[in-house]
Amino acid sequence: MNSFALADCSTVEAALSQLKDGAVVKAGGVDLLDRMKNGTDTPTRLINIRNISELRGIQSTPEGLTIGALTTLAEVADDPGVRSQYTVLSDACGQAATPHIRNMATLGGNLLQQLQCWYYRSPDFQCLRKGKEICFAFSGLNQYHAIMDYGGCPSVAPSSGAVALLALDASVELTSTAKGKRTVAIRDFYLHPDANPHRFHVMAADELLTSIHIPKPAPGTRSAYQKYGEKESHDWANADAGILLEMDGSLCRRAVVAMGAASPVVRRSREAEAALAGKPITPETARAAGQASMTGAMPLSMNAYKVQLFPVAIYRTILLAAGQMDRDPSAAG
Amino acid sequence: MSDPQRSPKEPPEATSTATTPPGISRRGFLKGAGITAAGTALLSGVQGLSREAVASTPKGVKEFGPEPFPVTLHINDKEHALQIEPRTTLADALRIQLNMTGTKISCDRGVCSSCTVLLDRMPVNSCMTLALDTVGHQITTIEGISANEQIHPVQAAFVRHDAMQCGFCTPGMVMSCVSLLEKNPHPTEADVRYAVSGNLCRCGTYPKVFAATLDAATQPASKA
Amino acid sequence: MATATTHSVADAILIAATDSSGAATKTVSMPIGVPGYTLHDEQRTVPATEPPVLPVNKDLDYIGKSPERWDGHAKVTGRARYTADVQLPGMLYARFVNASIPHARVLSIDTSAAESHPGVKGVHVIESLLGAAVLRDPALESTKYPIVRFAGQPVAAVAATTPQAAEEAAAKVKVKYEALPFVVDANLAREPNAPLVFPGAADEAGTAGGGGSEGGIPQTGNIHGPAVHKKGDAEQGFKDADVIVDARYITQVQTHSALETHGVVADWKPEQLTVYSSTQGTASVRDEFAGYFHLPKSQVRVITEFMGGGFGAKFGAGNPGVVAATLSRKTGAPVRLMLDRQEEHLSVGNRPSSDQRLRIGAKKDGTITAIQLISFGTAGCGTGAGCSGPAANLYKWASLHTEENDVFINAGPAAAFRAPGHPQGAFALEQSIDELAARLNMDLLDLRDRIDENPVRRVQRQIVRESALWKSRNPRPNADPGPIKRGIGLSQSVWYRHLTMDAAAEVRVHKDGSVEVLSAVQDIGSGIKTVLAQILAEQFGVPPAKVSVKIGDTNYPVGPNSGGSVTTASLTPAVRDAAWQAAQKFLASVAPALHATPADLTLAGGMVRSTSDKFQPIPFRIAAGKMNTDEVSAQAKRIPDYNPGKYDTYGGVDIAEVAVDTETGRIHVKRVLAVHDCGRPINPAQVISQINGGVIQGISYTLFEHRLLDPNYGLMVNANLDKYKIAGSYEIPQIEVQLTESYIGQSSTDASGIGEAAGIISAGAAIGNAVYNATGVRIRQLPMTPAIVLAALNQPQPSMESL
Repeated sequence: MNSFALADCSTVEAALSQLKDGAVVKAGGVDLLDRMKNGTDTPTRLINIRNISELRGIQSTPEGLTIGALTTLAEVADDPGVRSQYTVLSDACGQAATPHIRNMATLGGNLLQQLQCWYYRSPDFQCLRKGKEICFAFSGLNQYHAIMDYGGCPSVAPSSGAVALLALDASVELTSTAKGKRTVAIRDFYLHPDANPHRFHVMAADELLTSIHIPKPAPGTRSAYQKYGEKESHDWANADAGILLEMDGSLCRRAVVAMGAASPVVRRSREAEAALAGKPITPETARAAGQASMTGAMPLSMNAYKVQLFPVAIYRTILLAAGQMDRDPSAAG
Repeated sequence: MSDPQRSPKEPPEATSTATTPPGISRRGFLKGAGITAAGTALLSGVQGLSREAVASTPKGVKEFGPEPFPVTLHINDKEHALQIEPRTTLADALRIQLNMTGTKISCDRGVCSSCTVLLDRMPVNSCMTLALDTVGHQITTIEGISANEQIHPVQAAFVRHDAMQCGFCTPGMVMSCVSLLEKNPHPTEADVRYAVSGNLCRCGTYPKVFAATLDAATQPASKA
Repeated sequence: MATATTHSVADAILIAATDSSGAATKTVSMPIGVPGYTLHDEQRTVPATEPPVLPVNKDLDYIGKSPERWDGHAKVTGRARYTADVQLPGMLYARFVNASIPHARVLSIDTSAAESHPGVKGVHVIESLLGAAVLRDPALESTKYPIVRFAGQPVAAVAATTPQAAEEAAAKVKVKYEALPFVVDANLAREPNAPLVFPGAADEAGTAGGGGSEGGIPQTGNIHGPAVHKKGDAEQGFKDADVIVDARYITQVQTHSALETHGVVADWKPEQLTVYSSTQGTASVRDEFAGYFHLPKSQVRVITEFMGGGFGAKFGAGNPGVVAATLSRKTGAPVRLMLDRQEEHLSVGNRPSSDQRLRIGAKKDGTITAIQLISFGTAGCGTGAGCSGPAANLYKWASLHTEENDVFINAGPAAAFRAPGHPQGAFALEQSIDELAARLNMDLLDLRDRIDENPVRRVQRQIVRESALWKSRNPRPNADPGPIKRGIGLSQSVWYRHLTMDAAAEVRVHKDGSVEVLSAVQDIGSGIKTVLAQILAEQFGVPPAKVSVKIGDTNYPVGPNSGGSVTTASLTPAVRDAAWQAAQKFLASVAPALHATPADLTLAGGMVRSTSDKFQPIPFRIAAGKMNTDEVSAQAKRIPDYNPGKYDTYGGVDIAEVAVDTETGRIHVKRVLAVHDCGRPINPAQVISQINGGVIQGISYTLFEHRLLDPNYGLMVNANLDKYKIAGSYEIPQIEVQLTESYIGQSSTDASGIGEAAGIISAGAAIGNAVYNATGVRIRQLPMTPAIVLAALNQPQPSMESL
């Protein structure tokens, strides 16, 4: 890891004042230190926001939930309120990485973590997302890459938290000295590689992600998240599903089907959601939704299996959310 | 539930008058250490940081490095003064500077958990934690869980069950399981699997790690 | 039965086994067979100096019991000091500079910027490289610097006062390359126009753990082979067959991924080179250092107090060793060079891949008329991809024809890896044997009873046959209706009674009643320290925890290199002999004070007794106080097996229950019953630990692990421990181990090792056969990831079983 100076900030205001001259923000540090140890990132100045206590904690309001960006994944996953009413988020945070990392990594950091593509993570490959013209995955090893809507970069959305927050219609609060606070919906937060290959999200260089707002789910809402890797102990998702069902008696009034490992940006499958809307949740409707989710899938040379896997992840997670199926032993622990 | 008492370092304005060390609930602190000496030690640790604050920097910002600077780390109920750089990880500080080599480095990316230590009693990867970020917090390493020659019940159970082979992952495994039993004194096998789901063992000692930890849960605690 | 032909260890044993002194002998009666099944006595003629015959385990106090691991406390408290933990005064930290392209000529290396980096004390440019195959005709390549043959090959190294300074300085070494065409795909490498990894024939010598290849093998392009072995007339064998099964199997490259990486601390002093090494062989490390630096062996000391896993890859000085020693000599300071995780994956060994075509011909009664195995595998820029061991040695056959080929690619050289070649070979053989049984409409165990005469394996099959798990197996494939299908499969394994005579120990008895054993042998995690303590405990009646065990240091008598499961079989008889001889000296030393003759005295059960009842039995410790000298000691080395013509195998019968999720392609191993033998188990708990480990490593190999090289640039993309996937806590089945205690009357302990036979050989085929039982579909490719499993399930094969 290269040598760097560090500005340890105790307030948001202080941290914002340091957002300049290429200084890089560090929260829990898990993703940043990984990239610095790999040698892909060599910042000479870090802004340490880990100790800004005002950004840590979970607040329940009549409108919903506000989660400080520095709240750890473990804190989110273990919070009884989150678990009961925002199960999809509790699940997603509880299945990320390892228990140890969840004690260090923050929800804000999870949302802002960079691509897990092995070419992107290697200092030996200078790819499209690192300012060059080329993607190495299309003609290289792409078994864990995207199967739809990938444009010029098929690395998949790395954040499981984002999948859950997309399902919950959540938004993030961005704060800057110049503009104060603004709120951006998760669905609008991430940038598709074709929109701008060198940026992952709409957050400006002078902004901090300070909190996450989640609207209170409608009565009768049930939700769940599951991820499917090759292992259950610490693995990345080959398929994942964040499901939210607004139930009206036995009928599903509104469904959200969110996916992360299918595409570079977390996405909702409108086709899958339409397959559930107004219908009862049954194994048949759930399977139909799973199948519908793959509309437009164009797998790469090595990942056709994901087109088969996603519908299963989705139908099983729908049934899990609906209370019709146990947590899947094939899903991460 | 997010516990504000568990949040990391509070702003210096708060710590300068605090009687409870930052980052530690009073109750947890009383339980974890002899009160007076250690309390002073922790405060001086934070002051060790404050000394480095550069006067000209804005309020709420403290500048460190890139050159080495002194800090005091509170490890296993003792204070340790050392020089670190901002990039110094807790694992390197422990292993290289303090020669506390029970904490191992194997993957060096936070995925094998050989480097597990407890930070305010929570298991974390010391290889992915900056030493600087642990100032003012309680660090517990494998060297710190035995008391007065008496090894921890988890350690004793690991020996009884032969829950080790080469032993390189063992300190990390032990720390994960110690932390589990602190939070959940009566775990199931599924709980143990969960607790060590980030700990890699290449020799394949898992079945005995599960058995040992479940057995340790039935033993009377050797340490308050 | 044929013996292994591809392993250098076997050859060493055969040579050593001819050693005979013609000294006085005695004839003794020894227990032979499996207690509860086949136990009986047989006569053996043994050297007169041998200790009395040990009874079976149940009649012993310490041997065959499971006292706590001798160094368990040190390991659970973090006090155990590994090479990575060694800190010497003034020690420097070294880092390699590694090639970042897979095939290149090094044109120039500029170290000036690195040398002037703050903290740097020495820089070394590598001019000769260890580990890879070497050209038979070195004149084909005359370059100053070694040709880069894989990405990650070390090129230079830097030593500095801190790890950070070394890392920064290493990044400042400027290497100019002329890139050469490369190939990293073993199939492409076999094509006639493939880029050549070597410009001519090249060979790699074997190591103590196996690997390497025999000499004189032909080479065409990148294909180093075939190594052909023919016994009997296979062509005729297939003509005689009523049934022939014929299939292709593919296995991947696995990396050892020991948690402690390769590394050393080298301290070069004028009088002695001291090396702390994470190794499986203090002796082999010393040999390589002495050879490389032209030092007398007596001036090289190797210390391995604890080591964090090797699995076959840690035998020699290696590039880290010689570079660290060179830097230490240059700088006059001790130098630590530990590899990082990426280097560990890239440059210090792996299990070769295989692409096997296996044909088995059999008569209607199951008798095998012919086995033919044609295999291609890559050991990177090394050799040792042969995998015919199981085909040659697991069952009886009338004829055998094997052709093994190493395919060179631009990747790091392979190294011996736990049961070299056998997981690959058994994955194919044992699935084909199941297919054969189906074709013959024979029970899986009955067929194996027909073709496997090994008496221990026969007992083990009986144990399996009677197990609740096996009885719960539905012989009809694909019987479960749901998407998650349960199945049970079986595989056998075979390993060999490898020995080395270079296994010695000294036992000392002190006047205060303390006893100690000294040997250079290293404990690789299998627990030899405990085993040695138990042997002394049995002799002197002292609890094992009170025995001092001093090992892992070449200052002590030579120890075996721990590869090929040789350690216990080789060393324990030497230790027992030394303990026995020391006990005799002890009795002679106390006899005067007891007014007895030594011949009248015995030491057993911790008591000194007079056979003529001259005095009441005296506890050993009290008697020791009567020694007429401060210390007695005896040194002994391994003597050849009592019955040297007899070549034995060890192995096991493993069954696995899987749940195949046919929708996600995920295979969950739920339960494993592993029935294994290793002669006399000296510490059953430690043996079970090793078998658990073999089973788990085998599951990990079968389902997850895969070294992935980018086809276009030749770099490993998953050189870490998150995308190189290793089984973790959720992937661990319920494992039941049953040890088959067995005796063959070959040595004073009649014990043997378990490392290789333990699980890893059989896991792939047991899981493959279980998946077939669950789904009716055969998976003939590893690792069985969702991608592979779903693809196989999507194409219901015209399964050979239904033909």
